[in-house]
Amino acid sequence: MPELRRPPYPTVLKPYGHALVELAKERADIVCLTGDLTRQCEIDLFQDAYPERFIHAGMAEANMMGVAGALARDGFRPFVHTFGVFATRRPLDQIINAIAFPNLPVRIVGFMPGVSSPGGPSHQAIDDVALMRAIPNMTVVDVADAVEARQVARAIVDVDGPVYVRLKRGEIPLIFPDDHELRLEKAAVLCGGTDLALLANGMMLAPALEAARLLESSGVSVSVTNVPVIKPLDAATVIEVAAAAKAVITAENHSIIGGLGTAVAEAIAEAGLGRPLRRIGLGDTFAEGSRTGPYLFGKYGLSTQAITDAAWAALGRPGPAPVAEVIQAEEGEYSPV
Amino acid sequence: MTTGSRVSDPGTRWTVDDPARLAALIRLRAVRMIKPQGFGYLGQALSSAEQVAALFAVMKPGDDRLVCSPGHYMIGIFAAAAELGILTEDEAQSYGLDGSPIEAIGTERSPVADYVCGSLGQGLSAAAGFALADRLKHKDRRTFAMISDGELEEGQLWEAVMFAAHHGLSRLTVLLDANNSQVDGPVDTITTIEPIAAKWAAFGWAARDLDGHDVNAVLKALAEAGDAKQPTVLINRTSTIHGLRCLPPDADGHFIKLPPALAAAAEAELLAELERFHA
Repeated sequence: MPELRRPPYPTVLKPYGHALVELAKERADIVCLTGDLTRQCEIDLFQDAYPERFIHAGMAEANMMGVAGALARDGFRPFVHTFGVFATRRPLDQIINAIAFPNLPVRIVGFMPGVSSPGGPSHQAIDDVALMRAIPNMTVVDVADAVEARQVARAIVDVDGPVYVRLKRGEIPLIFPDDHELRLEKAAVLCGGTDLALLANGMMLAPALEAARLLESSGVSVSVTNVPVIKPLDAATVIEVAAAAKAVITAENHSIIGGLGTAVAEAIAEAGLGRPLRRIGLGDTFAEGSRTGPYLFGKYGLSTQAITDAAWAALGRPGPAPVAEVIQAEEGEYSPV
Repeated sequence: MTTGSRVSDPGTRWTVDDPARLAALIRLRAVRMIKPQGFGYLGQALSSAEQVAALFAVMKPGDDRLVCSPGHYMIGIFAAAAELGILTEDEAQSYGLDGSPIEAIGTERSPVADYVCGSLGQGLSAAAGFALADRLKHKDRRTFAMISDGELEEGQLWEAVMFAAHHGLSRLTVLLDANNSQVDGPVDTITTIEPIAAKWAAFGWAARDLDGHDVNAVLKALAEAGDAKQPTVLINRTSTIHGLRCLPPDADGHFIKLPPALAAAAEAELLAELERFHA
């Protein structure tokens, strides 16, 4: 993986927010809605640039989705912003009836995925991918770094039908080289391998890459595939890397029910591939409030070590799994747990 | 017109000569629409007939928009559309039948209205979105939303009420059918929603009560709302058995049963009523 950066990763602020403003410069049909989380969702930049196309919906997510659906019906491309929990749980019926059933081009952007928030179960979107993935017509995206976050608005703006995107809040790591291209239709095989197929997305790509490096140094041949689009899943690539390996591991910052792990399981089972599968993610449990997010990634098994241990066990390797080293991050840097 | 035409589509045309007569025609046609099944959403047509008739008389064809929030009310709108030539006779006759796009509970794919909700309490948000879209595009047309009193129990509706007032969506007019009917019984026995007008007024709307079966009163109020400086709600006090004396007084207004003998009596009564307009 020579072209990828190594942790600690440098970080940037508001890559999505800047890119949305750039896109809106070209696209007069973009309108921006917020559910009382403007700065947190990086769209204070949009509000400053295009106040006439910026709509405060307030803390009223159900109404916000209904308004967005009507705006889309009238030819606008609404980008709707709030935290992932509020974007999916509260207005589920509205998303289904006012947006997804009529297949309208509303872009729902949910910040603060999984246990990246120390704010406890009310603020931790651990089921948003599962909820959105179950809805017909919906495209579901979880990007891994700032290079992808910069591209995601442009990548989804002309998708036919609704899109749900989950984005990390705050300091966003730069993992990919600047010329990396986010492709919705194709999962990115970052390196090939014959023992283990590791499929990850979002905030779990970073620990997946570290686990792959650690395993390679212990004699395990690992492929790493970034799967930014959970639906529609690039099943062909998933099957290809799974077929080439002896075991498969998925890693997602989400419940192991209904997200990437489930989607991969469905794809390889339907292809008739009998590969041992381990799903890294929240094991059908709520997390908890804490002081920091990284504590939760460690406690709930969303870590480099957890991926490494699962790989070791799935492959039936003897002895203890190799131990991941802690990668210190200075202020303004990011390292996976 | 072909299935799929909506009131705001350019080219959709109709004229209403006599709104009171149109209301009577809506009732008769609604009876005939549910007759094959022997039951259906006749109560919604009976309580809203004058509102629907007045709406079609006031709406600018091919421009103004109509949102029907409770999809069950589409029976009255379909009936009016058939009378006005927006739907064909065949389309109207296919109401509620297997494979028909004219579904009994209106949906996304229902023709005539610009937007129809099936899940209750959601239509006002869409209507506010339409009104906001028109303002963003500097279009001066009106958006009308039909909602029902039972929907006031849904929290989203009040989100939309606040949103529309805050954003000053004065081109939005709501016809609220206050027929005091919901599935479990009279609305006032389930949840106290009164005082309706005072609540909307407190939220920043122009709000007034009126007799929803006085078609001239509804017409006048709809016309006046076109000049309002804030969004307007007209609270139409109605009954789900109005205009059909043959129905038992305790008929379930949400879902009226109409066995063949009663259907025949209803048709006879409404045909006689229509004679008044020919006199």
